[in-house]
Amino acid sequence: MHELGVVIEVVNVVEKFARENEVEEIDTVVLQIGELSSMIPKYIREVYPAAVDGTLLEGSKLEIEILTANGRCQACGTVFPLVKNEGVCPTCGSSDCEMLCGREFYIKEIRCF
Amino acid sequence: MSEFRILEIKQSVFADNDKQAEELRKELKKEKTFLLNLMSSPGSGKTTTLTKTIAALKDEMKIGVMEADIDSDVDAHTISETGAKVIQLHTGGMCHLDADMTKQGILGLGTEEIDLAILENVGNLVCPAEFDTGSSKNAMILSVPEGDDKPLKYPLMFTICDVLLVNKIDVMEYFDFDLKACEERAKKLNPNIKVIPISAKTGEGIEEWAQWLREQVKKWKEA
Repeated sequence: MHELGVVIEVVNVVEKFARENEVEEIDTVVLQIGELSSMIPKYIREVYPAAVDGTLLEGSKLEIEILTANGRCQACGTVFPLVKNEGVCPTCGSSDCEMLCGREFYIKEIRCF
Repeated sequence: MSEFRILEIKQSVFADNDKQAEELRKELKKEKTFLLNLMSSPGSGKTTTLTKTIAALKDEMKIGVMEADIDSDVDAHTISETGAKVIQLHTGGMCHLDADMTKQGILGLGTEEIDLAILENVGNLVCPAEFDTGSSKNAMILSVPEGDDKPLKYPLMFTICDVLLVNKIDVMEYFDFDLKACEERAKKLNPNIKVIPISAKTGEGIEEWAQWLREQVKKWKEA
């Protein structure tokens, strides 16, 4: 359970951004998380209220979009979703693949007044 | 009340930290201070390994240690007995160190006198892997009782490390630890990782590790 420290970092980034853009009240924060990120959405939701307590984000809603992890087969070049195929190329059956994406952890946008 | 807006941020959560880490690395390069970020699980033998490492190198270079813990200063006391300069950093409940905290530590240590600064990160294989501290190189310790499957369970840590020290090899026969399988798993994640089996207790392998550090510190000062 290491999400709290990272969510506090989210709060810092969003607060800084909000101040620079003269935002007074934040309604929703939208995050994008790669399927193979070590951040677990369930825990992020659980620690969110504690992380935003006493900040500009207090009372805001949290939305999480999951980004599919894709890999490229090193043997035949097929690009495929890693999790669904358990890391095995659906075309040739090789498990030697390069991860193209899936570890992202982005703050996508804020909805605000 | 003003109108409802959607503001796009599109920023990696780690972007601020990555920038600070890059700045710190540049500063350390200028100061000719090599910073090693040492990570592991709790109880893997980080402090004992450090004690042996300092003993092997202290006559050739000036060493400073930053002990990062959530609380307490027992490790700092142990290290201070080696004669190395040591400061204790408390993360106040946080499970990792970021570049900013590392910079505070470096300022506390002072770079003028230090050739090799070692950051003993919080005992944890997850969060420290996510945060670039500004280190020159990363090393991790995996101890035999933890099991040879750890590269499978904590892939990111093995991906970002330059060296993997497999510690407590003196008790290997009492555990089902397959050194070859462990090395293969680590190399699959990170083909460039250097694996050094050691026993901080008996001193086995410490010289190979010290030699790696010697070369790295030399390279860092030259370029």
